[in-house]
Amino acid sequence: MDQSAFSIFAAIVSSIVLEASPFLLLGSLLSAVLAVYVGDGALARLSRRGLPAQIGVGLVAGLILPTCECGVVPVTRRLLGKGVPPGAAISFMLAAPVVNPVCLAATWVAFQGDWRMVAWRAALVMIPAAAAGWVLGATRSADLLRPSLTMAHEAGCGCGCGHDHARFGFLQGLPEVLRLTGREFLDMALFLITGALAAGAFKAFLPQSWLGLVSGNLWLAVPALMLLAVLISICSEADAFVAASLSMFPRPALLAFLALGPMLDLKLMPAFLSVFKRRPALVVITLPALTIFVLCMSLGMAGVIK
Amino acid sequence: MTSATIHDARTPWFARFRADLPDRIDGLCLLALGSFMAVLARSRFYWNFLNPKFSHLTLAAGLLLCLVALPPLLLPRHGRETFGRLSRQVLLALFLALAGLAWRDAASESAPGADASAPSGSLGQQSQAEPEAPVDLNPVVDGVAYVRLNLAELYIMLDKGRKDYPQHFALRAEVMRSPRLDERGYVLLRRIAVVCCLADSLDLRFMTRGEETQTLKDGDWVEVFGHLEPIADKGEDKGLAKLAPKGEGPGLAITNPKFRIQAERLERIKNTDFPYLFEFREKPPFAW
Repeated sequence: MDQSAFSIFAAIVSSIVLEASPFLLLGSLLSAVLAVYVGDGALARLSRRGLPAQIGVGLVAGLILPTCECGVVPVTRRLLGKGVPPGAAISFMLAAPVVNPVCLAATWVAFQGDWRMVAWRAALVMIPAAAAGWVLGATRSADLLRPSLTMAHEAGCGCGCGHDHARFGFLQGLPEVLRLTGREFLDMALFLITGALAAGAFKAFLPQSWLGLVSGNLWLAVPALMLLAVLISICSEADAFVAASLSMFPRPALLAFLALGPMLDLKLMPAFLSVFKRRPALVVITLPALTIFVLCMSLGMAGVIK
Repeated sequence: MTSATIHDARTPWFARFRADLPDRIDGLCLLALGSFMAVLARSRFYWNFLNPKFSHLTLAAGLLLCLVALPPLLLPRHGRETFGRLSRQVLLALFLALAGLAWRDAASESAPGADASAPSGSLGQQSQAEPEAPVDLNPVVDGVAYVRLNLAELYIMLDKGRKDYPQHFALRAEVMRSPRLDERGYVLLRRIAVVCCLADSLDLRFMTRGEETQTLKDGDWVEVFGHLEPIADKGEDKGLAKLAPKGEGPGLAITNPKFRIQAERLERIKNTDFPYLFEFREKPPFAW
């Protein structure tokens, strides 16, 4: 285990990318299937419902469409392209990495069957997800997405004839699904690798001693673990075990770590900034961070969570 | 040059080749990454990066990446090499170089004395080559019954506040020494526990003391037979928890602040080729 800092850096970057790639690929595949087999009008029916209903559907969609944060951005981009209203798509993007059976079960196991931690984690994710869905709910999809990164759709077709992909039969559409999956994966891998490089640099080159210095003070502990969640960029299925091991920190800080990491980390930030235009990108980056900070501080100071 | 012109049979082959090149490079990137993942998943160095239970997932994803590489490789579509496209291709190539470097390091560290260039065996073969786990998970030494478990299992039980941890236990760990702990007669015993991948690994440690501990060297591997003692934040224990050195490896380093191990017996063991812990059980038989 005597590894030099650069060897550790290389191993951590590799492990993050290798761990996330299957889920990113799954998200890309799902996105491609939606593009090729699902008609443009099929999912747009959701827009006939009111904004609260759209947000409600988005918040719980992860329970039937489990997606971790590594794969959720391409799926969301495709959903928006298919006419899913922003209120539902944005809520889904921010909530699904936590509000899904796998992540909730992992949290339950890591915290020794403590349902309060599971419930608080889900609540602390759903509140900012709903808020972001509310803020961006009235925005048109064209005003959310950057046109420069619709490459996977445009290049996937390439013929320029404007035909409807959804008319493909299963076998006819398969080559197109594969082509789109590859393009989508490469689009997103750029941001995954960028984030992994930053997270690896943090873990390999920065001292960990600062964690111990801030663990005893709620005002420092909450932002410190929020920062840690962003910097180390670990999977939402594994972060509960890391949080459980940080037992020297108060629970509100652990919840801030658990709630923010799947919504905002070094893998997601470049993806948000590249997929969304500036204003919606700032909303999905800042709103969860501010909301979680305020909520966790309030819960900690009020003594609701000890 | 229009689409129709490029696909015209009379167009020079190099013009068609140049127009198809960006798509083919995309295909090559996917194929290279997919092949890397598939080969790594079947290699004996996989555990250096991820928990072995994910090897089938990595293999499946690698094969699927190879599959999605086929359309752009075999049926490329013409297009321009944009800056965005070029940058992702370059970054992916850089990542593969970095991953190759990490694999080389893993090969040289995982199997000291082994030929790193030798063909890799599967995980199954690896486990066959490893020494069998001791049959006796409840050894009796000098009339004392011990329970064999791994360091992470003990740490997790304590972290959860459980009182039913074994009174006398045996565990394997790497020794870590620091001048400040030496002054107090302690060494650290450590294991790296990996849940999913190296990024979420935890470097779990216990302060340990005993008659023979000061004869140990940094990096020694030992099997310790001992029991736990609580650390009080007063008297001779005051400030003890803060003396533990901070992390210097891939994992977040955490030294148990409430308990130390009192070693009753120490046995030096061979450097393990499989130093990370991937399995944690909360009741006997422990993963050891």
